[in-house]
Amino acid sequence: MGRVKIARKSTFIDMTAMSDVTVLLLTFFMLTSTFLQKEPTTVITPASVSEEKVQETNYVQVLVSPEGKVWLTMNNDTSSAWSNDNMRMALLDRAAQIYNESHKNKISFTPQQKQAFSKLGSFGVPLAQMGEFLSLANEGQEGTTKMDKWLQGEDGNPNHVTGIPISWNQDEQRPNEFQIWMKAMRQSDNENLTSAIKDGTGVAIKADQNTAFDVVHMVMDNLQTIHMNKFTLLTALKAGE
Amino acid sequence: MAEIAQDNGGKKGKSHQKKMTIRVDFTPMVDMNMLLITFFMLCTTMIKSQTLNIALPSNEKVENTENMSQASADDAVTIILDAKRKTGSFDVDSVNGKVVNEVYYYFGKPGGDAGMFGAGGTILSENNNMQKSEFLSNEGSGAAARARGIRAIIQERNKDVLKEINKLKADFRDGKIDQAKYDELAKKVRQNENLKKPVIIIKSTPQASYGALVEVLDEMQINSISKYQIDNMTRADSVMLIDFQNRHHGE
Repeated sequence: MGRVKIARKSTFIDMTAMSDVTVLLLTFFMLTSTFLQKEPTTVITPASVSEEKVQETNYVQVLVSPEGKVWLTMNNDTSSAWSNDNMRMALLDRAAQIYNESHKNKISFTPQQKQAFSKLGSFGVPLAQMGEFLSLANEGQEGTTKMDKWLQGEDGNPNHVTGIPISWNQDEQRPNEFQIWMKAMRQSDNENLTSAIKDGTGVAIKADQNTAFDVVHMVMDNLQTIHMNKFTLLTALKAGE
Repeated sequence: MAEIAQDNGGKKGKSHQKKMTIRVDFTPMVDMNMLLITFFMLCTTMIKSQTLNIALPSNEKVENTENMSQASADDAVTIILDAKRKTGSFDVDSVNGKVVNEVYYYFGKPGGDAGMFGAGGTILSENNNMQKSEFLSNEGSGAAARARGIRAIIQERNKDVLKEINKLKADFRDGKIDQAKYDELAKKVRQNENLKKPVIIIKSTPQASYGALVEVLDEMQINSISKYQIDNMTRADSVMLIDFQNRHHGE
């Protein structure tokens, strides 16, 4: 009359090993990751067979939208002396100085505005509106959203201009704002950046593959005028050739 | 692994302390880790952009034209980039939101030795030596690959250099020379003045796409062209292009 005893087995699965693996993976991704930069416009770069990688630090990115709007990003060393914070603040001062040499309406920035500028990734508003733009950073999170909208040209205010003003200009003595910024970049204290600009790896043009040649040509022509004859074009890897 | 068996010190018998197992459930931990991994995977850029180096001449007007290096008409190949236009207008036509690239080329001077313009600036259509081509990748693969389109034309003009380069490539594949040696020898071949090399002038209409420019610069790299430059369209170029497009309307 013995009943067959069925041993009750626990359904408990040991997750320790699984946890180990996931932590390893997590560590890998955390250490290798470089975050996607927030950019005011999304562009699809053309494919090329070139295998040269873009530099990680010390280059200026010129982002060109198909409509011809231009944004700049200054990437500096990771070291503290030539960090993004210090160099970008100095850049704003220098750009303002060059601007004041050739314009009647002088501009200057408060320390808070400079601080806000150093935290910006891409920038692209006319220098005359830069003060108003940077003051938005004092409004906290809401202000940051407003700044992003302005940079994307979607804030609905017709007075707010998006993109760095650029025009055909071959007169080096009277630079347009794009040329002012690029000149300021070249005068940066960051020697690694300035030497990279000199040998051509320090200026990278990023444009969409469907952008008209005219638009990119204007940017190139502007650079040629201020004697930055060497630069690079950002491309994606072309498969299978 | 996640359990800790408590042993009561090896004493047998008397102790009535129960053996305790402490188990920690790691499932939530794994869940959280997975979420974090997903976040990092989506936010990272693994593939870095490539770069294409270009150097342009200075914008300054050159006073002394005597010292300028002149390309002989024999070697010159002019490539003109354009975008496909809508029929009967200058507006750019696009397919699925993408601009269709068009490539034109001519050898030597525009209009040949006679030139494009007659007395008094009249346009001589019959002298138009422009031809149309396409961006095409190789037909077939491996050793049987055959270049098509504009690539075939460039390769035909640069065949002396490519022959030498291909020899080096074969040596490199067989392991006879290493990468550094290959790079050095290839550079020497490209700059060898005794080999017949074309000088390629890249021009582009304002409407042509930036993608086409990168593509044609790519062709220079693929076909080991050492002398090429980006230049502005001249009047003769525009006249020839419009003349060609008018004659081959609707093809």
